[in-house]
Amino acid sequence: MKLARMLVLTAGVLLAISGAVPLMKRLLADTKPAVQLNVKNAQPREVEDVTQNSVLRDYTLAWQAIGTSLANNTLQPLNENFSGFALDKLTQRVKDQKQQGITTKIIDRGHNVEAIFYSPDGSAIELKDTASIETQVLDGGTVIHSDQAQIHYYAIMTGAEDRWKVRVLESAQQ
Amino acid sequence: MRKIIFVSLVIAVCWFAADCAHAAELNIPKDAVAGQPLTINGSGTLYLIGPGQVIKREFKSGSVEIKGEELRSAGRWIAAVHGDGNQSQVFWVKAGKPENLNFLARPSRVPVAKPNVISGVTFVFDKYQNMVVDPIPVNFNLSVGGSSNSKNVTSRDGIAWTNSNSAPKAGAAQFVASVGDTQVHRVVQQVASDPCNLRMHISGRTGNRIIVETDPIRDCSGNPVPDGTIVTFIQTDNTGKSTVDARIKKDTARAELPAADNGTITVAAGVVLGNELHVGGK
Repeated sequence: MKLARMLVLTAGVLLAISGAVPLMKRLLADTKPAVQLNVKNAQPREVEDVTQNSVLRDYTLAWQAIGTSLANNTLQPLNENFSGFALDKLTQRVKDQKQQGITTKIIDRGHNVEAIFYSPDGSAIELKDTASIETQVLDGGTVIHSDQAQIHYYAIMTGAEDRWKVRVLESAQQ
Repeated sequence: MRKIIFVSLVIAVCWFAADCAHAAELNIPKDAVAGQPLTINGSGTLYLIGPGQVIKREFKSGSVEIKGEELRSAGRWIAAVHGDGNQSQVFWVKAGKPENLNFLARPSRVPVAKPNVISGVTFVFDKYQNMVVDPIPVNFNLSVGGSSNSKNVTSRDGIAWTNSNSAPKAGAAQFVASVGDTQVHRVVQQVASDPCNLRMHISGRTGNRIIVETDPIRDCSGNPVPDGTIVTFIQTDNTGKSTVDARIKKDTARAELPAADNGTITVAAGVVLGNELHVGGK
């Protein structure tokens, strides 16, 4: 009787672990990346505190969305955080990935971001980002590429209905 | 002697291994440009994973040619070959020559003769909407009524911007940003500024009412203040205050006020005060 109880308990624990592991993995994948934003050198307009906080929040969310979208080939997170050319390109990337059976896992080690331009009317801001990113490209379950690198990005964000959205996101060789 | 042969052999083996590894690298051109074709040699399946697209191809007769219109995204790409030997490599694709401009001209309506009130911001892109981060000379030209103001600005990190004064003459100013043959036009409506020398006079009397009318209302540069602008007439006398908000129509504004025995009429448009009139009196 005691043995049967132990077996049931063990089975229950194993079942809980088997459910919790993928959930934890998913949660870790959806973790917000660490982003540091410096606005001291923005030209020609000084960035207001409220704008700085909003841009920091929304740029962080945008990178979280990239991670989720490329890992799961879903478009919804992109639509919420991107617009214009950046949305077009990332949408195409996700569609191509889906069509080719590819997924990309991004482990985001953090971003060092500097605002370099803030438009006179306050409608657009350009960011220069040095990102530490680990990338793993998978075809089905097979890893076809893996690397870890510091990548430089230019991002242009514009004010949208209730948030700042990334309109241009471009990696550049330094 | 044996030791020397052993060491030599180890060096030779390492050299060969290094050579083999080098030979296995993907030879991707270092100066790839968006919109230009690319040839990659290898065998098996080729994956090209770019910022805005993924290309998957089988090598045929040892090479894959990527057409110019297929290589659209600038930035960091990954090339991976999955076959007999699995290899992958990061490579960079640069943006093509500037062919598209995004031009923000602000504001769309501006008073005349104000310093640094018009701003123009240009984002420089290539044919495939990749931002061109290399410095590019951008020309800004603001013209209205035959006079024009031109400035050359070199873009920095994909952006060129300028500030400009509004012209002394009212009208639709053409604001043009251009790079090479690419031009983008915007219209900035320059309107008369605040009225200058606002003056009124009594233009008539009907029964127990008087009619006050302004002289033609113009700004300090001589531009007529637009029709529809509100002008406020206030009459104060011992019975109280009468206020009339009248709109400018054909350069002037007029109002009917009760004829007072001893009153003062003032006129104002926005923050500008005009002359005072004393009416009646004993």
